Amino acid sequence: MAGFSINGVSKVYGGASPTETLSNIDLTIKDGEFLSILGPSGCGKSTLLEILAGLQLPTSGDIYFDGKKLEGPDKKRGVVFQDPSLYPWRTVFQNVELGLEIGREAKTDRQAAVQKYLDMVGLRGFEHKYPHHLSGGMKQRAGLARALANSPDVLLMDEPFGAVDHLTRLQLQDDLLNIWEVEKKTVVFVTHDVSEAVFLGDRVVLLTPRPGRIHTIFQVPDKRLRKRDDIALLKIQNDIYAAIHDVKTQEHLEFTI
Amino acid sequence: MGNGKSNRLSGGLIIGQIALLLLFLGFIEYAVRKGIIGSLYLSEPTRVIKEIITLFAQGEIFPNLLVTLQEFLAGYLLAAAAGIGTGLFLVLVPRAEAFFGPFLSALLAVPKVTIIPLLMLWLGIGLSHKIAIVFLFCFFTIAFNTITGVKQTAENHLKVARVFEASRFQTIVKVILPSAAPTIFAGLRVSAATGLVGALFGEMIASKDGLGNLLVKATSLYDTAKAFAIITIVTVVSVLIIALIDLLEKKVFLKWKSS
Repeated sequence: MAGFSINGVSKVYGGASPTETLSNIDLTIKDGEFLSILGPSGCGKSTLLEILAGLQLPTSGDIYFDGKKLEGPDKKRGVVFQDPSLYPWRTVFQNVELGLEIGREAKTDRQAAVQKYLDMVGLRGFEHKYPHHLSGGMKQRAGLARALANSPDVLLMDEPFGAVDHLTRLQLQDDLLNIWEVEKKTVVFVTHDVSEAVFLGDRVVLLTPRPGRIHTIFQVPDKRLRKRDDIALLKIQNDIYAAIHDVKTQEHLEFTI
Repeated sequence: MGNGKSNRLSGGLIIGQIALLLLFLGFIEYAVRKGIIGSLYLSEPTRVIKEIITLFAQGEIFPNLLVTLQEFLAGYLLAAAAGIGTGLFLVLVPRAEAFFGPFLSALLAVPKVTIIPLLMLWLGIGLSHKIAIVFLFCFFTIAFNTITGVKQTAENHLKVARVFEASRFQTIVKVILPSAAPTIFAGLRVSAATGLVGALFGEMIASKDGLGNLLVKATSLYDTAKAFAIITIVTVVSVLIIALIDLLEKKVFLKWKSS
């Protein structure tokens, strides 16, 4: 149902010296899957996510979502942004309500949904605060609640925990997995953190930098209620580090030749 | 503790400031009474206060104040609506700014006071004349501040709206305007002061009533005390208008900033 089929997608940014950001991406994302997209900065992973959101169009190739060609943004695909992009002039409650308000949902339905997701992300009691009163982690929780409140089939998350401290990040990861278990959404999670990608994902897609290509797709054992020190997870992390090292050496060789 | 110290310091500061003001006013009082400064040029503060009381007691101030406020309010509100509308139009309609921008800048460059006599020819010397002057004094600041504010809308805030499939109208009302509001308000506040100046200046040049008219009458009769009384009243009115706008900003439109 709510899966993606990405066929030969490339993205070239125009201008005086066109730069290829994504090159020939082929990828199928299954319904209900938690997919991590991992790569160093500049590998076009955020661009790929925006293309999945419909915020950008690929230069070539096409994407099918839910069996239909993807041509623009859609309420079924919620986005959690890297900088949480909450509206500073709205309270936490009003921010989470935004999508429903735009969708002209009935006021009582809106309030029930907003309260449900605020509770789910652990922001009960902060409804009437403004974003500038929240910590970085709480802002991300509000951003997640805003996306969830609109009941999307897919969550597209762009390095959402990149700017919060390590301990908060671990907590947010645990909470995200719990929410995912309850809500059963397809999640595409972009990150540059290897352990985060492995801990969260069913699969981890490793991208190479400039232009972004798929290097390897790692399958993570689907045992849930994961432990961070699980030997199988650590093994995959090591494989990924080796692959990243491999990419770097190749780059280096190309550079010296 | 540090706080207590700074409180005491600022308390001392205020006492010093009041003392300087009283010293200054006392000197003027003394100088005018002793004839060191002719009462044609300056007036004793006590006489000015008496004049203010007379102006209110005899009711002369009220119709004139009402006229000036009317002119100001009508011109200002029209300028606010037109300025914000024009600003939105120029940024949001593709190429509108590229096309109309130079015309707007050219109009802005015309010193507004030079048009006042022409406006008199077109509109007479009544209410509409003053409304037009206030409008001209306010419109450009509000329009240009709106343009700046709208352009500053964060790209990511717009993306959020796009993901939720917001219509053009929803995007303007829910994202662009609130995000531009602080900059628009800065324009509204600056132009409130200049707008009042416009109304008074228009009245001083040609009018039948209003505070500016009252002021010109007082000075042409060499009634210096009354002139100072009117200047004082006008200043208070100006301060009150700005305070009202600040209040509106803090309590209604930009509540989130002050919270």
